[in-house]
Amino acid sequence: MWLQLARVIALGLVLSSASAIADDRAEVSTSVFEERRQGDKGGLTVVHPQVDVGTDIGSHVSFDAAYSADAVSGATSTVYQVDAVSAATKFSDTRHEGTIALGFMGRRSRITFSGTLGTERDYLSRQIGGDASIDLPGRNTTVDLAYSHSFDTVCDKDNGDAMPLERRALTGADECRKKDLILSSNIPGTTIWKDLSIDTAQFTLTQNLSPTMNMQLAAYGQVLEGFQSNPYRRVRVGGNSPQEHIPDTRARWSATARLNRFLPKLHSAVHLGIRFYDDTWRVIGADAELGYSQYIGNSLLVKFHVRAYQQSAASFFKDAFFYQTESTAGEYYTGDRELSPVRSAMIGAKLTLITVAGDKPVWGLFDKLNFNVKGDLLILDQLPADPSLDNPMGIDKQFLYGTGLLDAVILQLGLLGTY
Amino acid sequence: MASRFSFSLVLVAILASACGRTAVRASEKEFLADQVMVFDNDPHETASDDHILTNREGAAGGHGAGGGGCGCN
Repeated sequence: MWLQLARVIALGLVLSSASAIADDRAEVSTSVFEERRQGDKGGLTVVHPQVDVGTDIGSHVSFDAAYSADAVSGATSTVYQVDAVSAATKFSDTRHEGTIALGFMGRRSRITFSGTLGTERDYLSRQIGGDASIDLPGRNTTVDLAYSHSFDTVCDKDNGDAMPLERRALTGADECRKKDLILSSNIPGTTIWKDLSIDTAQFTLTQNLSPTMNMQLAAYGQVLEGFQSNPYRRVRVGGNSPQEHIPDTRARWSATARLNRFLPKLHSAVHLGIRFYDDTWRVIGADAELGYSQYIGNSLLVKFHVRAYQQSAASFFKDAFFYQTESTAGEYYTGDRELSPVRSAMIGAKLTLITVAGDKPVWGLFDKLNFNVKGDLLILDQLPADPSLDNPMGIDKQFLYGTGLLDAVILQLGLLGTY
Repeated sequence: MASRFSFSLVLVAILASACGRTAVRASEKEFLADQVMVFDNDPHETASDDHILTNREGAAGGHGAGGGGCGCN
C-alpha cells in the first residue's frame, strides 16, 4: 500500500520529466532494492521494472505510454512496540501501473496531458495531470508548471463506528474486493475502501547562466485529504494494539535549487543540489546532493554521487515506549518510520555506455543508445524522538534498523534509446 | 509554516530575477546540450530514486521538471 502512495506522490515529477524529453525514445530498466533490518525484524526486497515508449505524431503532437511494476517481498514488524522481534510477518505483493500522455508542441512551448492507473491488492490509484512549459525569448530560460490530481482508494478493515483505540488493523487474510480491476467494492463487515485525494502542483524555472553552467529552481506543493494510515500497522498503546491513527489532512511543500557546471578541459561536469521541505505535520527536512560526471573517451560516462538527508519527527510521532507506557500523544499515534526523526546518507556510482549512430542506426533503429548500470548504498540512522532517560530499557530495542553501517543496496540496469 | 513558505517564495523570486537577463547565444550551447547538463536526463532513474526515497523519508517532491541545458523545448 505504502509503495503505491509513495509512487503517486512522486508521479507529478515523473510526468514533468517525461514531458521534457522531446525525441522519440524508448527506455527499459529494472531496479532491485534490498533492505535488511535489525535482528529477525525482517527485510525487504523490491524488484521494479519499467518500460516507456514515446513518439512524435507529426511535428506538433507526441504520445507516451509507460508501464511499471513493483514486486515486493519480505518480512516486517506489524506492531510498533518495544522489542517487536517476535512480530515479523512475511508478505508479498505486486503493484501494476500504466500511464499514457498526449503532448502538444509549439515552437517554444509544450503542453502535456496524462492519465495514470495503478492497482495492487489494497490500493487503487487513478490520476490525471497536466504539464505546460515554455522557453522564454532567447531560449535561456524555461518555465514549467505541472499539476496533477489523484483519486485514490485504500482498503481497510470495516471497523464500523469504533473509536480509534478500538479499531482493528487490516490483515493479509482480509479480502479487498475489486471490480473490473480498477474499481473498488466494499465487503460490509469485513473490508471497506476509503478515499484519498492528492493534489500536486510544481513550478520550475531552468536558467542558462553561462555557456558552461545552468541552474534550476523548483517549488513543490501538495495537499493530501483522506485516509493516510497504513491499514496493516498497529501501535501498542498501553495493553492494546489498535490500528495506527494519523490526521486525514496533510499539506506539504518544498523548495529546491540545482546547479550544473561543465568543465570542458576535463570533459566532465559537477552537479549540486539542495532541498528544503516542510509540512503541516511538522516534519521538516533538508537534503544536499553532490555529483561528478566524467567522460572516458567518447563512449563511456561515469557519474559519482553522494546525498545526505535529515528530518525532524511529526508532531504526533513518539517512540514506541512512550505509547506503550505513557499512552498517545494527543489524538494520534503512529509507528511510521517516515514520520520519525531520521537521517540518511546515500553514495553511489553510475556507468553509462553510449553508442551513437554513424552511417547506420544503432541496432537498425536508434540514433543514440545508452546502457546504464547504477549502484547505490543507503545508510539510515533512526534517531530517538523522546529522551532515553524516560525509558532506558526500551530505547535501543524499538528501531527497525540495526547498528551496522549498511542498511540497503540498490542496483539498476537500464537501456535508453532515442530514434 | 506560512511564514517559511512566504520567505521561500520571495527567495525564489529574487534568485529568478537575478538570472533572468543572462544571455547565452545559440552558438555557445554546445556544452549545455550535453546529456550531463540536462536535469533528470534519465526519467527512469529519477522515478526509481524518488520511489525509493519517498518510502523512507517524510519529505517529497521538489526535483523540478526535467530538461534544461540547451533551452530547446
